Amino acid sequence: MAAPVQSKNLWAEGVLLVLICTFCIFPFYWMVTTSLKTQVIALQSPPLWWFTPTLANYWEVLFEDKVGFALINSMIVASCTTALAVGLGCPAAYALARFEFRGKKDLWFWFITNRFVSPVVLAFPVFLISRDLGLRDTHMALILMYLTFTLPIVIWICTDQFRSIPKELDEAALLEGASQWVIFRRICLPLAMPGVAVSAILSFIFSWNELLFAYILAPKNAKTAPAMAVTFMEGYSVPFGKIMATSTLIVIPVLIFALLASKHLVRGLTMGAVK
Amino acid sequence: MKFKKQVSVLALTAGAAFGMSGTAGAWTLEEAAKPYAGTELEVLFLDRPGYAAAIKMLPEFEAATGIKVNQTTVPYENALGEQVRDFVAGGDIDIALIDLVWIGNFAENNWIVPIDTFTADPALTDPDLDLADFFPLTLNAFGGWNGKTYGLPFDNYSGLLFYNSCMLKDAGFDVPPATWQEVMDTYGPALTKDGKYAYALQSKRNETQSADSFARFLWPFGGSFLTADFKSNLNSPESQAGLQFRQDLMKFMPEGIVAYDHSEAVNALAQGDVAFITEWSAFYSTLASPETSTLGDCLAVAPEPTGPAGRKPALGGFSLAVAAQADDNEKAAGWLFIQWLTSKANAGTYLELGGVPARQSAYADPALAETYKFIPALVESWQEGVPEFRPRFAEWPSVTEVVQEWGTKMMLGEVSVEEGARTIGERMEGILSQAGYYDGKKPLAQ
Amino acid sequence: MTMRVPRRTLFAFIGPAVFALLLVGVVPLGFAVWRSFYYFNLTKLSESRFVGLDNYAFVLTDPVFWQAMGRTATLFAVAVPVQIFLGLTIALVLHRPGLGFFKVLARLSLVLPMATTYAVVGLLAQVMLNQKYGVINQMLGWIGIDPINFIGDPTNAFIGVIIWDIWQWTPFVALILLAGLSTVPPEIEEAAQLETKSNWVVLRHVQLPYLIPSLVAVLILRTADTLKLFDMPFTMTRGGPGSATEFIAILIERVGNRQFDIGMASAQSIIMLAITIALARLYIRFFYREV
Repeated sequence: MAAPVQSKNLWAEGVLLVLICTFCIFPFYWMVTTSLKTQVIALQSPPLWWFTPTLANYWEVLFEDKVGFALINSMIVASCTTALAVGLGCPAAYALARFEFRGKKDLWFWFITNRFVSPVVLAFPVFLISRDLGLRDTHMALILMYLTFTLPIVIWICTDQFRSIPKELDEAALLEGASQWVIFRRICLPLAMPGVAVSAILSFIFSWNELLFAYILAPKNAKTAPAMAVTFMEGYSVPFGKIMATSTLIVIPVLIFALLASKHLVRGLTMGAVK
Repeated sequence: MKFKKQVSVLALTAGAAFGMSGTAGAWTLEEAAKPYAGTELEVLFLDRPGYAAAIKMLPEFEAATGIKVNQTTVPYENALGEQVRDFVAGGDIDIALIDLVWIGNFAENNWIVPIDTFTADPALTDPDLDLADFFPLTLNAFGGWNGKTYGLPFDNYSGLLFYNSCMLKDAGFDVPPATWQEVMDTYGPALTKDGKYAYALQSKRNETQSADSFARFLWPFGGSFLTADFKSNLNSPESQAGLQFRQDLMKFMPEGIVAYDHSEAVNALAQGDVAFITEWSAFYSTLASPETSTLGDCLAVAPEPTGPAGRKPALGGFSLAVAAQADDNEKAAGWLFIQWLTSKANAGTYLELGGVPARQSAYADPALAETYKFIPALVESWQEGVPEFRPRFAEWPSVTEVVQEWGTKMMLGEVSVEEGARTIGERMEGILSQAGYYDGKKPLAQ
Repeated sequence: MTMRVPRRTLFAFIGPAVFALLLVGVVPLGFAVWRSFYYFNLTKLSESRFVGLDNYAFVLTDPVFWQAMGRTATLFAVAVPVQIFLGLTIALVLHRPGLGFFKVLARLSLVLPMATTYAVVGLLAQVMLNQKYGVINQMLGWIGIDPINFIGDPTNAFIGVIIWDIWQWTPFVALILLAGLSTVPPEIEEAAQLETKSNWVVLRHVQLPYLIPSLVAVLILRTADTLKLFDMPFTMTRGGPGSATEFIAILIERVGNRQFDIGMASAQSIIMLAITIALARLYIRFFYREV
């Protein structure tokens, strides 16, 4: 009630908010500044906050150490698997939202549990299988395996989204003799675009970040960015600058995407669990 | 008896090479490589000085032969796994990079080709190959298994004592420690004060623990991994003395030593935090360069300290061998490459670029010891090393996991030295028993 | 409301997705199950042989396996409550009116940690927690605490993993709970706030019921993700020092990739999968609204 009490609370809140922002952002700040240090500067103890920056690490890492190549691979794999997941997942989500059939609950549960499966369970068998199919170290192997988590995301979010579209539109179209496919494509899909977009962005982010499959299945030709990060774990020398430069390059795309989708990110991550 | 067979194989090869060169006219790399121009070779490299040196030499090879060598750099931690998976999956690695402890494994799985396949072919073999010029220890330990030679030593190490002569001088020492006992009794206490430590022993839970930490304190004390009939020797009085010594020595080492890998130990010396380390010879360049080290002229090198059983320095190294899964052209091209890279003629260049060749002739010039302070210690160390410093049989990957786990547990104090050694011994014997060493199914080779 | 459609239509819509997931999810799984009944080591392929349930028997009685599960459970038991507590605090603050600009900024900042590549978090942790060159120790020095050896000490390394897990996922919890708070009807909230000055009372009686679905969602997801945890500890400590940070996924990777015992790794994975599915089933069956 009294103005001073309110403003004191406001101050406390303000401080807390600044703390939150700092806490979240500081590691990134440190990552970027370390990436601009030469090894000599990086090995200063205590660490320097003010120094002459250099872009040499980025240059080396992108071109000599083939991180640029790894980033391109990540881009290819993440885009393709997202496209595939959306292409396969949207119709399936529509069916789950609109159609009635036996075993729907169990099917739904099966789709979902795939998200909970640890890659480590599948990685070794897939390695052996991909050897026989000649798919080892190809983008295809990763694109397919990433469906185990991107497809569930698309299905979850889009099922929700489709369910929230009013049925009247459907019914009107049915009366006019339209087929399910036409209803899906012409009416529901456009209306569900927000959900589709969110699930696409999330699929992209998760595919980009994935490490274990990439590490075991794609050691060279299709090496993705996170797998590249592991390359610097050689016990011989720890080039801090280069490691942080690689890290910065790896996270920038996902951070941008995450900020774009920030409003819907939480919903996607919980896959509509919050209601 | 293994050695005799080795010598006879060498003699035969040398004889064949000699015999042929007389009739065929001068052998040149360019001539030999003509049929294989355009071949591409795949090999894994590590992010270490020797490989950086080799990478600088690649353009010259390609220009002379038209053979392109594609290398992929991986961390040591992954190198074994990647090659195993590649060989099992029928991938495209043409040249195998073999750590000495992997050679039993690779050889028994028939993933690598013995060199006599190539040395028998005069068109492919450089008359100057001179296998006898390699330090016998290196050729035997890094490239040989069960009487056959598979690879030529490429990235070669010996454990050396690197020390900060200025720090020692300040504490009143003019010479580095000659024995481990001296380290425990005089050097350790004198140098561990004011936030500085006398010694850092890299002990991280990976191959570093087995090779650098565990084995290093077995052999100089008269201990070993196995007895003559392949039972565990870790609970013998000598082995126990050595392992207990390591435990006691920890009071002169920085805290958290169990998480120290090579980079941490080397850095500790380079930044002036410890007085000496026993590390691989390859780190000389890192310790000498002003970009990575503050030592400058204070850097000095000596052979590792001796124990009651003498000087048994840590032995490590990689050879390059031709992979069995390569096609015939790739095999021949691969052999030419390996031969060229490790040749007498190129050893000087390799040394200059930061590598450590295993050619005795490369170190013949006494002037080199001025520029490369590690040479005298290295040459001396390679005279006395033990090939089975770590058993190199096919079961080593499983055994080393056990050693790494329990070796670090010992150091962390989670288990006593005696108990830890007994556990390692039991598990090791279990692995060897399952592999058939005790019922004669497998020859007792290490 | 849903309708019945001809089979053909149903298969056309759902078929491709099901087929794809069968291919990449079920087939490898079947393969893993098959292999788990064999002694199958990549470096000893010639010695592969059927061993029945031996691998399973070994794993279920293997202290190393259960220690890894124990560590994973401990991580969960420590990190998640902290995340919930901090997340709730943050959500409550963000939920209040006022300071619009800062609130938006805070909301955007919260998005960053959860989207970061997990492998990078581990590398970042290594750099920042380094005993000599790390900024965390530098900052501790400013308030008079001696440098702590994080990565090299078993307990501290474990704590380090917990700290970074909290850093990465508290924002996630905060945002979920914030979304949950926004489902509280504003009239009820305002009415309650007028009746009592105590925030605690408002929280407990008015907001909490609406927060329950969000809290359940957090539990489900954090359980699944903690069981899967691999990337961050892998790049931070590789499971060390000793085995201090060897969580279940890291153990399985080590058995498969360093000891090359694929049969054993498969048995371990299947057991872990069984536990995951059992927990997921439990959670979803009891707490979640179904389709």
